Amino acid sequence: AATAPGKKITARLKRTLPVRGPQAPTLSELMRWYCLNTNTHGCRRIVVSRGRLRRLLWIVLTLSAVGLILWQCAELLMNYYSASVSVTVQFQKLPFPAVTICNINPYKYSAMKEYLSELDKETKKALETFYGFSEGKSKVRRSVDDWNSTGSDFFQQIPLLKVEDFSRTATDLRSGQKRKIEGSVFHKDSSIVNSGDSNDIVGFQLCDANNSSECALYTFSSGVNAIQEWYRLHYMNIMAQIPLETKEKLSYSAEDLLLTCFFDGLSCDKRHFTRFHHPLHGNCYTFNSGENGTILSTSTGGSEYGLQVVLYIDEADYNPFLVTSTGAKIMVHDQNEYPFIEDIGTEIETAAVTSIGMHFTQSRKLSKPYSDCTETGADIPVENLYNKSYSLQICLHSCFQKAMVDSCGCAQYAQPLPAGAEYCNYKKNPNWMYCYYRLHEKFVKEQLGCQQICKDACSFKEWALTTSIAQWPSIVSEDWMLRVLSWDKGQKLNKKLNKTDLANLMVFYKDLNERFISENPTNTLVILLSNFGGQLGLWMSCSVVCVIEIVEVFFIDSLSIVMRRQWQRAKKWWNGRRARGGSGKAPQAGDVERQGHDNPVCIDEDLPTFTTALRLPLPQDSPLPRTPPPNYSTLRLETAFTEQLPDTLELDRH
Amino acid sequence: MNLKKYLVRALHRLQKGPGYTYKELLVWYCDNTNTHGPKRIIKEGPKKKLIWFFLTLLFASLVFWQWGILINTYLSYNVTSSLSIGFKTMKFPAVTICNANPFKYSEVKPLLKELDRLIEAALERILQPTPGNGSQDVSPPLDLELWNQIPLVLIDEHDKDNPVILDIFETNQTAVGNDTAMGSKASTSNLPALCPQCSHQGSDNCTYRNFSSAAQAVTEWYILQSTSILSKVPLHERIRMGYQAEDMILACLYGAEPCNYKNFTQIYHPDHGNCYIFNWGMDEEALNSSNPGAEFGLKLILDISQQDYIPYLSSAAGARLMLHQQKSFPFLKDQGIYAMAGTETSIGVLVDELERMGYPYSDCTVNGSDVPVRNLYSQYNTSYSIQACLRSCFQNHMVEICGCGHYMFPLPEGVTYCNNEDNPGWAYCYSSLRSSIKQRQICIDSCKETCNDTQYKMTISMADWPSEASEDWIFHILSYERDMSTNVTLDRTGIIKLNIYFQEYNYRTISESAATTIVWLLSSLGGQFGFWMGGSVLCLIEFGEIIIDSLWITIIHVIGWCKGLQQRRARARYPDAPPTVSELVEAHTNLAFQHEAAGAVPRPEALPPEPGTPPPNYDSLRVQPLATLGPDSDAD
Repeated sequence: AATAPGKKITARLKRTLPVRGPQAPTLSELMRWYCLNTNTHGCRRIVVSRGRLRRLLWIVLTLSAVGLILWQCAELLMNYYSASVSVTVQFQKLPFPAVTICNINPYKYSAMKEYLSELDKETKKALETFYGFSEGKSKVRRSVDDWNSTGSDFFQQIPLLKVEDFSRTATDLRSGQKRKIEGSVFHKDSSIVNSGDSNDIVGFQLCDANNSSECALYTFSSGVNAIQEWYRLHYMNIMAQIPLETKEKLSYSAEDLLLTCFFDGLSCDKRHFTRFHHPLHGNCYTFNSGENGTILSTSTGGSEYGLQVVLYIDEADYNPFLVTSTGAKIMVHDQNEYPFIEDIGTEIETAAVTSIGMHFTQSRKLSKPYSDCTETGADIPVENLYNKSYSLQICLHSCFQKAMVDSCGCAQYAQPLPAGAEYCNYKKNPNWMYCYYRLHEKFVKEQLGCQQICKDACSFKEWALTTSIAQWPSIVSEDWMLRVLSWDKGQKLNKKLNKTDLANLMVFYKDLNERFISENPTNTLVILLSNFGGQLGLWMSCSVVCVIEIVEVFFIDSLSIVMRRQWQRAKKWWNGRRARGGSGKAPQAGDVERQGHDNPVCIDEDLPTFTTALRLPLPQDSPLPRTPPPNYSTLRLETAFTEQLPDTLELDRH
Repeated sequence: MNLKKYLVRALHRLQKGPGYTYKELLVWYCDNTNTHGPKRIIKEGPKKKLIWFFLTLLFASLVFWQWGILINTYLSYNVTSSLSIGFKTMKFPAVTICNANPFKYSEVKPLLKELDRLIEAALERILQPTPGNGSQDVSPPLDLELWNQIPLVLIDEHDKDNPVILDIFETNQTAVGNDTAMGSKASTSNLPALCPQCSHQGSDNCTYRNFSSAAQAVTEWYILQSTSILSKVPLHERIRMGYQAEDMILACLYGAEPCNYKNFTQIYHPDHGNCYIFNWGMDEEALNSSNPGAEFGLKLILDISQQDYIPYLSSAAGARLMLHQQKSFPFLKDQGIYAMAGTETSIGVLVDELERMGYPYSDCTVNGSDVPVRNLYSQYNTSYSIQACLRSCFQNHMVEICGCGHYMFPLPEGVTYCNNEDNPGWAYCYSSLRSSIKQRQICIDSCKETCNDTQYKMTISMADWPSEASEDWIFHILSYERDMSTNVTLDRTGIIKLNIYFQEYNYRTISESAATTIVWLLSSLGGQFGFWMGGSVLCLIEFGEIIIDSLWITIIHVIGWCKGLQQRRARARYPDAPPTVSELVEAHTNLAFQHEAAGAVPRPEALPPEPGTPPPNYDSLRVQPLATLGPDSDAD
């Protein structure tokens, strides 16, 4: 009695629902249907194999094939973001790089006199007291004499000390009195810690101005370093107060620096150079900076076709404490690149011709997700203080400068100013040196986080330089060469040039081969998919269609079968309860399990559609258009196989 | 006959194909194809059918799109590079050594005497402009012929619009201009020296080559003049005037083996005079080096005798050296480096090899035979290189345009070097050609790089040599060995020590391999087809088969239609005549197989009237009339 409404409902459902049910009434039927009809290869074998062992073998094989596919595809996916490097060398017309040339000495010493005379005096005094050095000139003597009258600001601010390591006492230069060192001792040369047992160490003390008990003592193993470092601190202090225009005037002009210029077989002059003020190197001149929109290029390699410059290095006008070497510094770089000449410049000797052969290499990395580099630097949270294209160095310097402004309240002299900040000097920021040294130490120890924030640039150009030196001018040509060059220099300079004031520089392309190193993605989506296809096809002859099949059968169909069964169970239980007034027992799980292909009664009851379809003989002739036969392939295939493998089917039936 | 029979049989088979209407064919194809999608289309219900139809279409289009991408990738002929670094026994590079100065001044003095006097006088004029000094009167009169061909002038650009040109040796007729110019020299900073070059002697068409510095102008002028003079000197004479191997190479040591100047091959280099090449590999086998380090390299002591330099020709003093491949010409201006006198220069070598794939992967040449430029350096028996090609290209142009060859490059056959007497306009022609961008571009475009490229990367370091303590005995021994006298003929300004050796890692090879091969292409194509549709080449063949089948169906339809038309006409003529058996059979054949698809029979009204007993519907019978022959065309 309980089955009648069920039948009705299914009949109604069948009529109204447009979707046909799954391909088989039960899960095992569905599986069987799937295995026989699927496009993948292994499953069918499982069903049609004769004998338990063989079937087991096929199951194992199919499963291992599935496993292999999964493994290989996972490998393919994991290797998807890999890059291969390609190197191409191309012979072509090459753009000539920008060549930045600086005198090693930043400002003319004679012009700087008025700013630096006090400092120099004190430096000389220090030299005399510590090392007994004196130039033996009356001028020095005099300056020593009026030592006390000048007030000696510099030593008051940062006293130079002679440290005795073991007694931990320091001799103050100015007062000559000894005092105990408080606080920690920092060694600038960290590799030499307490090297000499008898040697005194020279250093200076930096104290926190707000909290005078916090002092840091910087010591050096050699007085040369100590004096230079001490001088530089004061020098930067003084320079920070001079406006840029004045500084540019104090430095060398293009006429001063460049005597002759020759490019690509043609004469050039100062108009081809762009001035660029470097805080530590004064006026530098960039050849071919691309500022007027044109970038020169070379179509012939060799020394005749490159840049040939004779530089005038006025050795007599050098600052004796700031720089101790003579010559020029040059750097070959891209037009968009900021020349960090203090970091990576090449030094040029005087009285010699320096021949620099270039070899151009361009590199390109793939950015995310292949590697962690940045294309433009726009995604880096550090503001680019230099108005040049991004590089790692720019980022690090900018990051440090930002930290400096944040924590010390003023900007370091060697780097450009952020908006609204100004350079540190003693008058306004009495505390800055202590702050700077502390910060610098943190920076070097990677505690500021700059090294983590800053990323490599993805593309960079590099000029590999081969430098060689020859004597210039040669002994026999020295005479006329110096005379003619003096004439060239002409009017402004009345003295005859000395050959140690001159440096000859040749920069040229060794060959016009451009080496281009680029990373390419090894895999594109197309290749990934075809590799997938290859794997799927190799092991199981599977394709996306199979995947869709699997989804259809294993998820949608199986789910619908399970759901239906659950629904029926619930319905049965409900009916039984209603019929027996709640005393009827609910159908048990065992009943459900027994329901299946070999339980015709159950099927008959539950699913009239399928069972009837199965039981009914097939219509012989073309069927009526209104009622199409159930289109089960199972049936058709079964008949096909009964001819070939009757015993398999027999086995299945039982 | 046999062939015809075969064809007929083939016809039968094709005709008997899977189905006889388009629809049947399609259904049959879908049911039996190995590609995965189509089967679903016909096996599912109407809604799923639609879904599967679109899915199949989508997948098919995906496959074709991705195939296009793959084929495109293949045709772009990408390469991948592999890099290997290490140490292995390698051929020691050829080492070319030259003096920066081409000739001994003591030898060429007679030739350049006039020129030197001229330039000295000119310099005097430039530097001390006050006229009327007595030196000119004492010295013999200057040969102004050389001067007049290419004079040095001063241009006073004080007045930008009409610059005053002052010939240095002009006498008093332009004295007014002269005086003002020279007077203005002290005040103005802008007084460049110039070097005019006229296209034709005496013509007004002059170009002035502008120099910003007098030193440059003088040097360039001197080079032009001296080239013209030296180009007339025969080669053996020029070789004699240069530095001899025994004078220049004082000591030589290769590894532990002694060597001397006889191990060097002499070559005449236009820039640097006599050059000597060690281990060039022309006559004997190239030397191998199997150990890294300075101990196993080449050690040389050279004397460049700086006192004997030509004062105006080369102002830099030192040795010029270059490392290059065996059997290649040394292009010292491009790749050479200097070694300074009075120093020991150590050169660590790393060999950078580049192996490129040729056409179509990259545009390179194996031996230069396919380059449209005649290689003039082949007379040295050297191999092709891009520098050789560019220079040959320039010289060929020069010969073509100026009618003579430039002194710095080898000569093609039957051409002479340019000199001022025979080719008065050559300097103008040369400098305009040299600065012509078009000419350079032509050369760059026509020259190709070599496929196997070897570069020597050098790490150069220098130290003072000999040390002050050892100076005396070293100079003594070396001088004694050179000329068996106890006089010390050497000094610091001329002596150079060279160490050339392999670094710890001596090679770095970058070799190219094709990124996409045909195998890669096929497997990728297969992968794509397999991934989306589970197909293979056989599926494509299946598809082709179906197309052929449908073509056949079309042909059969057309024939049937034609026959039907003919019959109708015939019936119109003889309405009573009964159809012959053959006609009937034919007609029957053309109809699309009633027994299999009754609904597909077209135009039942076109059927001929059926006789009482229709002919048996056997294939053999059906085909016969169409074939019109073959007594043995059996039913198969």
